[in-house]
Amino acid sequence: MSDQPGPKGLTHATVMDWLTRFAATVRSVEPELTALDQKAGDGDFGGNLVTGMDGVRRALDALAAGAGNGERNQRGPDAPLDAAARVFLDDVGGTSGPLFGLLFQELADALGMAADPPGTAALALGTAAGAAAIQRVGEAEVGDKTMVDALVPAARALASCEPTADPAYALHVAAVAAHRGARSTTDLRARRGRASYTGDHARGVPDPGALAVALLFASAHTELTSLDRLPVS
Amino acid sequence: MPQYFRDSPESLVPDALAGFAAAHADLVAYHPDHGYFRTRHCAPTRRVGLVSGGGSGHEPLHSGFLGTGMLDASCPGRIFASPHNRQIFEASRAVARPDGVLHIVKNYTGDRINFSIAAERLAHEGIRCARVLIDDDIASDSDDIAVGRRGTGATLIIEKILGAAADEGRGLEDLVALGTDVTRRARSLAVASAAHNTPASGAPAFALPDNILEFGVGIHGERAEGTTPHAPLGKLVETMTDQLLAALPDTAGTRVLALVNGLGSITSLELYGIRHAVAKALDDRGVGLDRSLTGTFVSALDMRGFSLTLFATDAEALRLWDAPARTPAWPL
Repeated sequence: MSDQPGPKGLTHATVMDWLTRFAATVRSVEPELTALDQKAGDGDFGGNLVTGMDGVRRALDALAAGAGNGERNQRGPDAPLDAAARVFLDDVGGTSGPLFGLLFQELADALGMAADPPGTAALALGTAAGAAAIQRVGEAEVGDKTMVDALVPAARALASCEPTADPAYALHVAAVAAHRGARSTTDLRARRGRASYTGDHARGVPDPGALAVALLFASAHTELTSLDRLPVS
Repeated sequence: MPQYFRDSPESLVPDALAGFAAAHADLVAYHPDHGYFRTRHCAPTRRVGLVSGGGSGHEPLHSGFLGTGMLDASCPGRIFASPHNRQIFEASRAVARPDGVLHIVKNYTGDRINFSIAAERLAHEGIRCARVLIDDDIASDSDDIAVGRRGTGATLIIEKILGAAADEGRGLEDLVALGTDVTRRARSLAVASAAHNTPASGAPAFALPDNILEFGVGIHGERAEGTTPHAPLGKLVETMTDQLLAALPDTAGTRVLALVNGLGSITSLELYGIRHAVAKALDDRGVGLDRSLTGTFVSALDMRGFSLTLFATDAEALRLWDAPARTPAWPL
């Protein structure tokens, strides 16, 4: 890990940038996500995610203009995640959209309740709580070829970091773990979600929901860590 | 080809919701921003709000059973589609009582997930929430079906019994235990001689040859595992009764409540004929018929068929069943 001075906590600005970058990433890979979902599911995942993140972008603009949800500190690092949670829970259809909303909600809570500024411990707590909520709701286990296959490894990776570790480093570790998890779904047969009805059609295709989880952590990492500070893993 | 009476396929549900709200404005209120109905009257003794919901196309379920003695809120989805978690969340928040809310959920994947997400959001707000999952349909009782039996006609029985129990001021855990027990003691089976017609296209959901029945059909037009020749009614009802009694727990010496339910386009004349055949089949098997309800309660658009639900009664269930209720569609 780098010994240079760097960001040790998550600020309002870094979380805003994280979600803005995720929105841009999702938009640029939407054709690929949709193509994957058409092979295995019902083809609406990429579109739902883009629609959701477009809504999040509008909510972030409103937050920047001071028109956010009054219940939270609008300048806190949790406020952008809370705004994203509301958009995904309230306005996104399908089932995987609102499941992302649960992850955002738990991340917002963990960051909001952490000591200032929230760091790796809060990220680990929020991601674990998000994974737990999504598993309670969707009843999926690792290996069922769902977003859980990326989220659970990410949560474990965060938990394995020192609580005081630089969050940039922790998010990098989480992104690598999530990406490996997403790739591991390629050869699986789906056991949950729409893809479970398509039998072996889903084999050979990674789960788009798991890939999206990997992209979420990758987006955060890219923002928080400049290339020359990338830890080697 | 049969045609639905509506302006457009898209207007069918919203126009019906508006019409239902206006027709029963003394009993229910519609909240268009969040897409749920709530009752205007409920017992002040209630400590738990009862929330149900599911796809449209099953009328009068669920909104027809909002009111004194039954549901506090209902969440209609699009045709045969689960309500959005937002509808369930907002409805639950609106009717939560000191002891929280109870979700009455039919066992379908979409309903389970959306009610679960709403429950997570309620927990996040510190509102207590529990669920009773209804899975009474024996046609979907198979090791090959990982998600388990579907929820169908027993929903109405559970909504009535839990409504009466909630009026008595029972707590959340108590209602969950009661609802779980009622579910355990109720089984359903449905047959159809013609599928429902899809509102968008007007085409039948599936085709059946003449004189063949779909035996074990679902309420969304899910095909059954098998078909059966159109036997005389008495014979058909005997077969169904035998299968249902075999599926009930501890049937020896049981007394039952029977729900004879139309799936949409079967006539009242036929339904009462079925009611007559059910009574005879039960009597022939030495099973007492404590109560019955005959009519269209859990429909499947205009499917031509009926479902039969048997519920093994006890004194407490009968007392709760007999308690007064006032809703747009409760007939007693």
